[in-house]
Amino acid sequence: MTVAMSEAQLVDLVISWVQSNHRPGNSRNGKISADTDLIAGGLLDSFGFIDLIVFIESQSGCKIDLTDVDPSEFCVVKGLCRITLRNQ
Amino acid sequence: MSSGRETQSIKPLEVTLPTSLRSEQLVRIDSQWASSRPALATATRMRYKGLIQGFLDSAERFASREALVVDDKRLSYRELRGRAAAIARTILDRELESFPLAAILASRSVTAYAGVLGILGTGKGYVPLNPKFPVDRTRKMLVLSGSRVLVVGREALGQLHRLLPEIGRTLTVILPDLDDAADLCAAFPQHRFVSSRQMSEGAGFAFDIEVDSAAVAYLLFTSGSTGEPKGVPIHHSNVWSYIEYISNRYEVNERDRFSQEFDMTFDLSVHDMFICWERGACLFSVPEKSVMLPAKFIRDHGLTMWFSVPSVVALLSNMRLLQPRCFPSLRFSVFCGEPLAAAHAQHWQEAAPNSIVENLYGPTETTIAISHYRWDPSKSPQECLNGIVPIGWPFAGQQCRVADHERGEVSETGELCLAGSQVTDGYWNDPEKTRRQFVHFPETGETLWYRTGDLVKRGENGCLYYLGRIDHQVKIRGYRVELQEIEVVLRKTSQAEQVVAVPWPVVDGSADGVVAFVSGVSNVDDLHILDRCREALPDYMVPRKIYRLEEMPLNDNRKIDRKRLVKLLEGA
Repeated sequence: MTVAMSEAQLVDLVISWVQSNHRPGNSRNGKISADTDLIAGGLLDSFGFIDLIVFIESQSGCKIDLTDVDPSEFCVVKGLCRITLRNQ
Repeated sequence: MSSGRETQSIKPLEVTLPTSLRSEQLVRIDSQWASSRPALATATRMRYKGLIQGFLDSAERFASREALVVDDKRLSYRELRGRAAAIARTILDRELESFPLAAILASRSVTAYAGVLGILGTGKGYVPLNPKFPVDRTRKMLVLSGSRVLVVGREALGQLHRLLPEIGRTLTVILPDLDDAADLCAAFPQHRFVSSRQMSEGAGFAFDIEVDSAAVAYLLFTSGSTGEPKGVPIHHSNVWSYIEYISNRYEVNERDRFSQEFDMTFDLSVHDMFICWERGACLFSVPEKSVMLPAKFIRDHGLTMWFSVPSVVALLSNMRLLQPRCFPSLRFSVFCGEPLAAAHAQHWQEAAPNSIVENLYGPTETTIAISHYRWDPSKSPQECLNGIVPIGWPFAGQQCRVADHERGEVSETGELCLAGSQVTDGYWNDPEKTRRQFVHFPETGETLWYRTGDLVKRGENGCLYYLGRIDHQVKIRGYRVELQEIEVVLRKTSQAEQVVAVPWPVVDGSADGVVAFVSGVSNVDDLHILDRCREALPDYMVPRKIYRLEEMPLNDNRKIDRKRLVKLLEGA
């Protein structure tokens, strides 16, 4: 069973996941924040991104629908969290 | 410069002639072939302009039609020709001595595309460099190519201060996206810089060039087992054959809208650009952020031609973005670069019901692709082997043979060897590697065969099935990778006695990444090693994880048992 989350809670959860699962060799990258672009910064590759989606869905209980979403929105931590919570 | 080809003969083998094409394909293709442009030999006599010829013809016929869409920029053929002309004239005006190749460091920008055309417009071949690659690797490629000109896009300007210091020869660096190059001139007096304001005018440039069909059209670098990138020169005659064949096969016309997914350092990008421009169609550069999940991009732009690695299908499918009939505009969907799972072909076919789905196969040495298999939802599932779509039959006019070299005979299962007008004649300045991979068979006289290193099975009807590699080369997300190249970097940075790179995880015959095992070293600083790897290797070659073992498992021949390492991963 999942509990309704606030955007701030979900952002924290995502940042924590990315810190543990980002691409190797990026250890000197700056701090990960709500405005971090996960793809452009090289933190996640495409498969890592899918893993993150699976993680968010399992934590939030929401299905993420990216059908009509612009990549510039869903590649950023904050944008991805907002998309998720739209379906909560 | 030459590829330094010196061929060797290997054991006598029975020759397999190119009788593998299905009869209906032969009839159709031959009739199209005959109705298209004059054969290359004739074209050469007719002031042949090489790979750029099709673009220039389209720029005359369809001057006001759109040729290129990059982000919010839309360029007509006339405009793109103008940008290319300015770059071409700038190169020629500053040429101190004749040289065959010029490099382009740019990606998914107007300068990237205009730069390729501009270089070809001088009669030189282009060497694509990738701003996403580590600077050390880019420098190696630039030096190995011998290029004396480098065209740089805005997206790569930030790399110049790290790239240029260790280049021994004087480079002419052309900067179409930079107004003022004073800082660079002061920092690197050994090189010459041309800012956008200093570039020559393109107006009036007639592209009055003639190229030899044997000249290099482009030089690509693939992963090399010694740790050095391996140069593959593709000649105008090689790529001309491909463009003629494919643009006829897909009946490309000026109303088509092509995807451009591939980085220019991946030879499949040559298909996107030059099949598109051959017939006056429009090229849609897929932005970096959409490359991963391009469903919205395909719909928003009403694309008719799709070309990507099969991994894209898996990603879209996993993200529930591959719904039935979601891509109605597609006429052709073409996949290449790694094994295509039957389930993915079928899934894509349902998403793009108006599209023909094809699986292409071909190493860089044979020019983009050299065999094809057309997906037929009613028959193909039964024709697949181990759930993987066959690589099909060679293009008309190209030759293949399947041979067991150890036993010295043609066989049903063995190494695939390829010959024909699309096959290049050797590696760039590397006679040793050329001798190993490019061979003559006594039965076929002067015919030069490329040994692919790919293990295939030949079906009763001549259909080819890809089984794997006979060496340690793998494909990671479509990129060709020599595991030994990764191991060279790992060995250097870890000081370990033994290092092994293993493709992992592998799904539907395709590797998503690579992991490393090291032994014989007590202290391993994973992050330090991975940072060093990242400085030397492209992203897709950097191991995802490093495992330390007391000692490597060995097989009966006392060699490292890679299969047992995979079993360790499976059990992890």
